[in-house]
Amino acid sequence: MSKALINKKNKENISKKILNIFKKKGFDFIDLDIVIDTDLLTRRSGEGFKKYALNFRDKSGKEISLRPDLTIATAIQYIQSKKTGTAKLSYFGSAFRLNKKGDLNVFDQIGCEIINSKSSPEYLVLSTVLSVFKKFKKNKITVNDLGLFQGLINSLNLPQRWKLRLIRHYSRKEYFDELLKRLDTNYDLDNEKIKIDYDRLEVLKKMDFNKMIGSRSVKEIIERFEKKIKDPRDNFKGSQSVKIIKDFLKLNMPLSKSANTIKKFVEKNNLKIKNISQILLKLNNLNKKLGLNKDIIFDTKFGRETQYYTGFAFSVCRQNRELARGGEYNNLIKTLGGKQTPAFGAAIYLNQLI
Amino acid sequence: MNKIKLGLPSKGRLKDESIKLFSSKNLNIQNTNSRNYFFNFEGNDNFDGIFLHAREIIERISDGTLDAGISGLDLLMELPDEYQNNIKILKKLDFGFADLVVAVPNDWLDIQNIADLEEVSFEFKEKYNRRMRVATKYPKLTEEFLLSRGVIEFKIVGSLGATESYPFTGSAELITDITSTGSTLKENNLRIISDGKILKSSACLLVSKKFKGKELDIFR
Repeated sequence: MSKALINKKNKENISKKILNIFKKKGFDFIDLDIVIDTDLLTRRSGEGFKKYALNFRDKSGKEISLRPDLTIATAIQYIQSKKTGTAKLSYFGSAFRLNKKGDLNVFDQIGCEIINSKSSPEYLVLSTVLSVFKKFKKNKITVNDLGLFQGLINSLNLPQRWKLRLIRHYSRKEYFDELLKRLDTNYDLDNEKIKIDYDRLEVLKKMDFNKMIGSRSVKEIIERFEKKIKDPRDNFKGSQSVKIIKDFLKLNMPLSKSANTIKKFVEKNNLKIKNISQILLKLNNLNKKLGLNKDIIFDTKFGRETQYYTGFAFSVCRQNRELARGGEYNNLIKTLGGKQTPAFGAAIYLNQLI
Repeated sequence: MNKIKLGLPSKGRLKDESIKLFSSKNLNIQNTNSRNYFFNFEGNDNFDGIFLHAREIIERISDGTLDAGISGLDLLMELPDEYQNNIKILKKLDFGFADLVVAVPNDWLDIQNIADLEEVSFEFKEKYNRRMRVATKYPKLTEEFLLSRGVIEFKIVGSLGATESYPFTGSAELITDITSTGSTLKENNLRIISDGKILKSSACLLVSKKFKGKELDIFR
């Protein structure tokens, strides 16, 4: 039998076993569409994402893509099903992505997702995934709560527009680092230009506020201009905030020590992070439920590159190979055209298991 | 000896300046006023010349039909990377200067720089449930520039001409375009944003990477 055929058989056998485990845990299997409306992808991740997907045009000229991600395909299916209650779904299939050189990579994945859960789903998903790997020893588990980063940024002494910028671009590491450099030097507004624009502002104020200029109303332009110049600009402590952010992103410790370390960090920097007590409680509970496993690491940087993660995220690795990854994605369904719906899911990477 | 196949721009100032450049090196075109597309230099048999559209010059150097030619840096950079792999810029020339810039309606007072644009693009998407549209003749350069500056919520609208009109006809919200003095943008109520320069372009003497001759070294 050829190597490829043996691989295929192995994958099928393993996937059957994993899907059985998922079934026992109450996840219903769904068959996902292989193509996705490209507009939905760019709506979620912006125009740049197109270069990582294999895109085509159908006969009507509409752009479609081979699914680059199975979580997105699941979320789209959930929206189309018009379900409103909790859905526990599992799937098996390939995701198609182009690398930076433009070569196609095919990832075979098995996943489980809990959509619109009334209770915290992270333990159920994480324990389900871990039960697949229970025979293997020396798994390294990394966790993080991306909500903590958002809370940290919102607690800093920064203009609102800077906070939004840092949160929006957290997943793009290179650009985020560039933003930190700019924040360090408070480069943002050109005061000379603002003086000139004040004259024009008077002209604009005399116009019909509903008049559209380049698809934006006069009212919208004036409001943002005034908001922008009123936002603190010379007196905010950019460099101090940058130091706090950089220090926060260095935090890396066993999960068992995470709640305590984060608490100390927050106190030391005199931060008022909203929901901090809930996040710390969640970490403590998770630590108790999973057992005092020294191999679980809490890393504040982990999961940032997955744009749609909004809260708790985890990965399971063995010998530097990532076997599974999952996380909370509370905004994805809304971005794809559904209602605001909490969701949590994980995928097991079959290519890494064989 | 094989003759050097040379392409020069077929019209406008780029054509005139290219002819002047070769004349300055004693390479005078025999039939400048002719409607004939082909040309030769007086008393020099080393070249077979042809007047072509500036973009086509790049295409033909890349596919090996021409050995060298004059065209705009903007046109070269807009083409897929494969073209830059096949073509060498022998010299950036002192004419055909133009910048590719990002321009917004003049009355968008709140947008001074790319950081503002990035912010407004998110707000725009949130408010109107669609992405801001950028009209351009340079989709590749525009996309690369905006993405590198953190502006990800946009959609390219291809334009073949009169790009400056797009924000006022409802076809796009902003534009990127090539400009040398900025006056056309100003006349059309558009303003270049402060750090919105995508590319500083000029005419260039381009040669195929396969071309090994020394005849064009006089331009270095």
